[in-house]
Amino acid sequence: MHEYAFFLGCIAPNRYPGCEASAIKTSEKVGIKLLPLCGASCCPAPGAFGSIDLNIWYAMAARNVVLAEQMGRDIALICNGCYKSIYEVNHILKHNDELRDGVNEVLKEIDMEYKGSIDVWHLAELYYDPKICGVDKLRESVTRPLTGTKIAVHYGCHLMKPRKERHFGDTDHPMWIEELVEALGAESVQYRNKMQCCGAGGGVRGFDLEHSLDITNEKMINLQEVGADALTEVCPFCQLQYDRGQVEIQEKFGITYGLPVLHFNELLGLAQGMSPDELALDLHAVDVSPFLEKIL
Amino acid sequence: MAREKNYGNPSLEGKLKDRYYYSDDTNRDFTQEVEKIGRTIAHMCYQCGTCTGSCPSAPRSSYRIRLFMRRAVLGLEEEALTDPDLWLCTTCYSCTDRCPRDIAPTDVIMAMRNLAARRDIVPRNFLKTVQAIYKTGHGVPNNDVNRAARVKLGMDAEPPTTCGFPEYIEGIKAIIDHYGLKDRADRILSEGE
Repeated sequence: MHEYAFFLGCIAPNRYPGCEASAIKTSEKVGIKLLPLCGASCCPAPGAFGSIDLNIWYAMAARNVVLAEQMGRDIALICNGCYKSIYEVNHILKHNDELRDGVNEVLKEIDMEYKGSIDVWHLAELYYDPKICGVDKLRESVTRPLTGTKIAVHYGCHLMKPRKERHFGDTDHPMWIEELVEALGAESVQYRNKMQCCGAGGGVRGFDLEHSLDITNEKMINLQEVGADALTEVCPFCQLQYDRGQVEIQEKFGITYGLPVLHFNELLGLAQGMSPDELALDLHAVDVSPFLEKIL
Repeated sequence: MAREKNYGNPSLEGKLKDRYYYSDDTNRDFTQEVEKIGRTIAHMCYQCGTCTGSCPSAPRSSYRIRLFMRRAVLGLEEEALTDPDLWLCTTCYSCTDRCPRDIAPTDVIMAMRNLAARRDIVPRNFLKTVQAIYKTGHGVPNNDVNRAARVKLGMDAEPPTTCGFPEYIEGIKAIIDHYGLKDRADRILSEGE
């Protein structure tokens, strides 16, 4: 078993608890144990918090990293926004003495010290990594293949970009999440401008909802063109933007899409035989049942 | 009094005499501060526009990242920090991945937002996130509908974060108070009411 401190963030545990439940259950079937990271907070939101003062963002994210350092475990997480904060701040502080000293001065007030002793991973990259799980092992864990479904992938921004501060390589036409999706027995479909942002980030969803929805709407038009049965992502904030966003797009622009949106963990849960009730899919704003009918 | 245009270079003055660039509008320190906070080499920008061409916000607004890059290079602090378009960047980092000069325009925007925030120029939703995190540790706090759903899933109503371990919130408050951010957020929000 590979053990990780499971950093939850905000939206997964507090809006889509199915993402959290499925992450814990699906990872166990492929040899990954997610341990609770007690007392963790918001990552904090890189857009909203980082825009006000990057120094506080460093310190707040470092506090979450230190909790995992105290456990002696690497962090695994399931949200791109959290990845931006936790991975990137960990990375920056490991390599920048000036910033690390500044952060440690603040953390001293709460009897903490950032040491730089752990690494941070997205659960999806652990699933893809053959040293930890790998596509083949993931395929073997599937008991209810999603045969006959067409699934589009939204990568989101902060997992892989900026490229030079990450280790994923190509950010124009990546295909590794499609490989994960196809391991579940589904057909993955390509669509125009796949790597475009969902529109929610940088505090824009809160600052100018219509602007942010207009970006989402462009993605929805491109998704509709290829007739996907569902959209999958690896970020609960993107999920919120696509899922609740479709309802808001309907209210504000009068356009209905009805495209089910599922976190990759939820999709994996379904493929491993979890029931929709075990995933709290009823909390999704867009009805998921047209997709479920194809696989159940 | 007519204002003097000034490039500090006689041959440039001649070539660019019909352009609008006033020396008293610019602040040299601004460029350096943006570069320091953003940890990027903004002054290397040669205005190719790849950033604006990559930007999902550009086609649907007057926000032009290339313009903000120019403002960063010329030290046009006032113009940059008081332009509401500053807050339309979704921080998708497409421009950063594509910049041929290896600059991170996204981080230039983040640095400018930090500098604007020092002058109390911050949209309200950003400050409300600060208040929520100060109170609960979460930017998106738990609620009753979600608690019920969690229990139905066989999980604790409160996740094992600051929700389940509220004693950790003190540490978060201490960090935010170290920078006086909560008081500042409260003040700015109440002034706007």
